[in-house]
Amino acid sequence: MIFKLAWRNIITRPLSSGLSVVLLSSSIMVIVLSMLTMKQMRSKFNENANKIDLVVGAKGSRLQSVLCNVFHIDYPNGNIKLKEVDFLFKHPFVKSAIPISLGDSYKKHRIIGTNPNFITEIYNGSILKGNFFNKSLEVVIGANVAAKLKLDIGDSFYGSHGIEESTHDHEDFPYRVVGILSPTGEIIDQLILTSLESVWQVHPHNDKKGSFDLKTAEEHDHHSHDHKTEVSENNSEVTAVLVNYNSPRAKFSIPGIVNQKNALMGAEPAIEIKQLLDLIEPAVNVIYVLSLFIFGISLFSIVVTLLNSMKDRKYEISMMRVGGASVRLIFISIILEGFFIGLIGSISGLILGHSIMGIMARFLNIKYNYQFSGLVFDSLELVLLFLTILIGMTAAIFPAIAAYRLDISKTLKNKT
Amino acid sequence: MELAYIIGLNQKKLIRTNNISVKYGEIDIKFPNINLDYGGQMLIMGKSGSGKTSLLNILGGLLSPQTGNVLVNDTDLFSMSNNKRDNFRGQQIGFVFQTPHFIKSLSVNDNLKFSQYMSSKVNQPKIDMLLKKVELNHLKKSSIQNLSEGEKQRISIIRALVNQPSIIFADEPTSALDDNSCNNVVDLLTNLSQENNTTLVIVTHDKRIKDKFPNQINLNDF
Repeated sequence: MIFKLAWRNIITRPLSSGLSVVLLSSSIMVIVLSMLTMKQMRSKFNENANKIDLVVGAKGSRLQSVLCNVFHIDYPNGNIKLKEVDFLFKHPFVKSAIPISLGDSYKKHRIIGTNPNFITEIYNGSILKGNFFNKSLEVVIGANVAAKLKLDIGDSFYGSHGIEESTHDHEDFPYRVVGILSPTGEIIDQLILTSLESVWQVHPHNDKKGSFDLKTAEEHDHHSHDHKTEVSENNSEVTAVLVNYNSPRAKFSIPGIVNQKNALMGAEPAIEIKQLLDLIEPAVNVIYVLSLFIFGISLFSIVVTLLNSMKDRKYEISMMRVGGASVRLIFISIILEGFFIGLIGSISGLILGHSIMGIMARFLNIKYNYQFSGLVFDSLELVLLFLTILIGMTAAIFPAIAAYRLDISKTLKNKT
Repeated sequence: MELAYIIGLNQKKLIRTNNISVKYGEIDIKFPNINLDYGGQMLIMGKSGSGKTSLLNILGGLLSPQTGNVLVNDTDLFSMSNNKRDNFRGQQIGFVFQTPHFIKSLSVNDNLKFSQYMSSKVNQPKIDMLLKKVELNHLKKSSIQNLSEGEKQRISIIRALVNQPSIIFADEPTSALDDNSCNNVVDLLTNLSQENNTTLVIVTHDKRIKDKFPNQINLNDF
């Protein structure tokens, strides 16, 4: 009965109770949204960054090199000659060195020239259907690419030059799907993988460039291609080599060796990502502080709402006391109102936060091919839920004390 | 009388007061001693400012007297803790006021049920029976705010009775009503309290009901 009374008292004052709930849920929503974004970003970044010890690419921005070659969300710094990184393939501290070559895409999914070790060693991927690529222009596609673009074994397509805005398709070079990868939940699900030779065949420049600066795709002179030119691997270029060490000592020697070379730059994904997250962290903290500010306002609003409600209800409360309700019962019923406002506010905030995360995830998925989700949960949300309810109840203490101190005799005398 | 009261020579009464008074600033109001039998009815009259409502609030345990004590069912109201007094009031006393106040967010039935809940006596058949008696059963599920003043007053009389109290205190229950409604409300109060063997105390300045109660105290005489 006491629960019913508290609940009815809230729903019969939809405007004032609604304002408190809206303020509470807005702040919870912002907190949840920031928390889920950071959690997923950290997890995606770390899980991918930890797969590769060193990215060896062209000189330029280290972060850009990592974002492009590990996360596939930025443009390459440039190309490097394979012969310059030859030593990596033979170095005793190197467990694996996998060259990758970027340049084209198909319906916003990047086509990566590499070797099957990229799939098996870096991502522990496996073939779900078909085989690994064996010949030039054969491709293996990630699980999401197959699902999203409805591609199957034997299907063909033409790669587009560049990633974002493509000026033309490589219409003389149809890629053929020979394999589909099992889903991994990682970036490889979004990629189209082919041999290095395929990329070189599609882009056989005089200087045997294996990849292009994707930013300047429009400047690419398609007509200068000599598609029949045989590529020489010795002179060929790749975008980067992804290196994994087999000795802890490699961490102290290999980046130094790489960086001493004029054309090369080594970037350690773990370090770059930590720096990136450290850069983002203050901005997220500002959002947290803002949401805490809204949270504070919402608590103030609960106090004001309930205090006003107490003023409106002083005769009701007096009548309850006359009818035998103890001050404890009245106190509990008002605390329960704070409980309900806190409960509705936090639950609606959590639902809103996850829903907006879900909408944002769709956008991130389309824009960056990164799988974010609104259905990811954090144990802190439970803490947030209990904390909000507790704070809602705490905010109700002041109005409850006001009701506790109500002089029944005086109140009734004024209106009997 | 004082001695007789102490040694208990008097007949057992439901309500006994002894030298009660209240003080409002410089004004001291002394009240006559009241002795009322079980099932009895009493009218307390007096003009404005004579302390009628204060007396009623003291008898109901809502206001502590400056001096004296109040015994209800041989229990000294003001020697109890606040919690016990609240509970005692819920069990033993019903109130009817000139302006009937209810919990606006609850329906008619839930208001009556909440009164029972407060004294741990939830008894839906009793509510149904009383609602039928005042012919308001059809308004059981209505919001209390949709009722007319006359209907609200009748519901407030039922509310005073739902816990089967020993006493009903009615404070100016008829002052705002026309003659017809005034008679109806007084008849309802007297009949229902008689049927339920409940003692009835009405304080009023409404002379229209003066002749209906042989047992009267006029505070103007003190």
